[in-house]
Amino acid sequence: MADLKKKVIDIPEDILNIPAEKFEFAQIHNTIYDAVPETESRGFFKDALVRLKKNKASIAAFWILCAIIVLAIIGPSLTPYTFSQQFPEYVNMPPRVPYLEDMGIFNGKQVLTNRRLDSLEDTSKFPEGSVLGYSNPHEVRGVTLVDVEVNYYKYVGADDTYFWFGTDGMGRDVWTRLWRGARVSLVIALAAVLSDVAIGIVYGSVAGYYGGKLDMIMMRICEIINAFPNVVVCTLCILLFGSGIPAMILALMIRGWVPTARMVRAQFLRFRGREYVMAAQTMGVPDYALIFRHILPNSIGPIITRTMIAIPNAIFTESFLAFIGLGLAPPEPSIGTLLSSGQKVLMQYPHLTLFPALTISVLMIAFNLFGNGLRDALDPTQRGHE
Amino acid sequence: MTKYVIKRVGMMFLTLFIIITIGFFVLRLMPGSPYSDEVNLTPEAIAALEAKQHLDKPLIVQYAYFMKGVFLENNWGVSITMRPGMNCFDIIKERIPTTLALNVLALLISIPLGIIAGTVAAVFKTKMPDYVISLLVVICISVPSFVFASLLQYFLAGINGWFPLIYNSTGNVQERLTSMVLPILALSFSPIATVCRYLRGELIETMSSEYMLLARTKGLKNYQAIVRHAFRNSMVPLANVIIPMFTRIMGGSMVVEGLFSVPGIGGIMVDSITARDYTLTIAALMFYSFISVATILLVDISYGIIDPRIRLEAKN
Repeated sequence: MADLKKKVIDIPEDILNIPAEKFEFAQIHNTIYDAVPETESRGFFKDALVRLKKNKASIAAFWILCAIIVLAIIGPSLTPYTFSQQFPEYVNMPPRVPYLEDMGIFNGKQVLTNRRLDSLEDTSKFPEGSVLGYSNPHEVRGVTLVDVEVNYYKYVGADDTYFWFGTDGMGRDVWTRLWRGARVSLVIALAAVLSDVAIGIVYGSVAGYYGGKLDMIMMRICEIINAFPNVVVCTLCILLFGSGIPAMILALMIRGWVPTARMVRAQFLRFRGREYVMAAQTMGVPDYALIFRHILPNSIGPIITRTMIAIPNAIFTESFLAFIGLGLAPPEPSIGTLLSSGQKVLMQYPHLTLFPALTISVLMIAFNLFGNGLRDALDPTQRGHE
Repeated sequence: MTKYVIKRVGMMFLTLFIIITIGFFVLRLMPGSPYSDEVNLTPEAIAALEAKQHLDKPLIVQYAYFMKGVFLENNWGVSITMRPGMNCFDIIKERIPTTLALNVLALLISIPLGIIAGTVAAVFKTKMPDYVISLLVVICISVPSFVFASLLQYFLAGINGWFPLIYNSTGNVQERLTSMVLPILALSFSPIATVCRYLRGELIETMSSEYMLLARTKGLKNYQAIVRHAFRNSMVPLANVIIPMFTRIMGGSMVVEGLFSVPGIGGIMVDSITARDYTLTIAALMFYSFISVATILLVDISYGIIDPRIRLEAKN
């Protein structure tokens, strides 16, 4: 208050006593413009990207996903083997990677149980340098038996060969098969989800836009399809059409489009009555343009989110089907068939289960994390739900 | 309310009817008759067997016989390769208790664990326990139950030998229960995480409400306010998460039963697919359909009770 008074007093006399005719309108001949914003304008996607970048877990998940996808594309061609090439002499080899083997992991180590202790010196049975050590000596009928720890590659006389993730029961390279399987699983999931979304968008738009009786009938159909248990639908579909990639995609599609259709319909119900839609309608914009150009873009965020969440579900269903015996026909691998065949020899050769299990787990976690991050970024009002 | 329930039950029967119809046609449209693989039967014997199962009649008549069998006589067709000549309904029936025991136990242990974890996460919101639990929740929801099953089987049964590798169906009650621990554990991870995530969200929303502030103002301690007010209000919608979760557990148990050789319906379904005993497969599928459709009915009705607005919407 004191400052204010001081200022009033401080104004010089000659300024306070300017005659009235000296005043003029500053902008009477100028056009007035809005100030140009100093910062760059941000659209919907840029805004979402800024929010997404703040979510560290999602960004990490995104890079992990990228790595897996790159490996699925180039992984099989990094080895000199093909996915169906069999080496009958190198069956169930443990994993061995150059350089890493010097650090004590992936060194092709295998424990052979119940071997005669006196045979360890016999180079025709255990080649030079193949024995790393032995444990658990026990006496059976006067003969000492031990569990021998060997470098399995030297043991079978393949010292210069490297199977990075080992080989399976038919002598096929696990690394090549794993990434080929990942590729197949990803392609199946992606194809199924994209068709789901396409069908869902058209179905939901039509139901939501036209409404009334048509909407009611279409939603009843959705309700009935949705009541079919997923497992039952997929199993029946594959029993009927055989277990190829197209049948697998179809099996995933039959029920998959319903959630997208429902979501798109809900968006249409929300936006159909808006003023801008009515204005466009009055100006004679045709139905298809109203649907696809004016109303549908509102649901782009939820559609992207829904796609990201649906992909891991599709991968899961695919491997689930492989586990109940409806996987792809051999020799074509998928993560599911690799897992289920590895599971049968889990106790003897855990590496056959370990690598597919790790891959599917990391893939699912990354997809879910990234999907959640995308949902929060595209639709901040939904944050924290679920 | 009665009208709503009747409508829902009608819907359920319609769905079941469609599923059974599709199941029938899938069964009949598959190439070859169930007996065409039998090499040591004469053509006459095959014809006689087919006549006994009405397989020589037109498709539509077969369909009528099948429907009559399913709805009036509990006759789901005859098993072909697994237990030749036995009615599939009887095979399924004797395996229901094992499957139900496994799944219900999994559900029963996961609800309290999920509630505890969810409450801890909500109370310590954006603190260390919350982050740890959230990370575990993402892992448990993402990783499929059969991967957990393999891990548990390898480490707890194979390496440590704490539990038997496969289900022990002949031992006494205690042996059976210990052999059930691993499959139940494998099935519980995902439901625990689902309950936890849902309850955390609900509790956090409730805890920021005004009546919680009032409860604290009138002198309740924080834990009293949470237990007496926030908790109760968050529990009501939880019912609608738990019931559909049961279908998911049942689906997972198909594979897990197979992995642990549990003589349940999931196991028999996997075996029947391998043995190409499709009548039995379809019968097992019908069981799953029934459980799933009944679950949806339960959810709809409980929604109607909890939130009357949904009932009104259905009426209009």
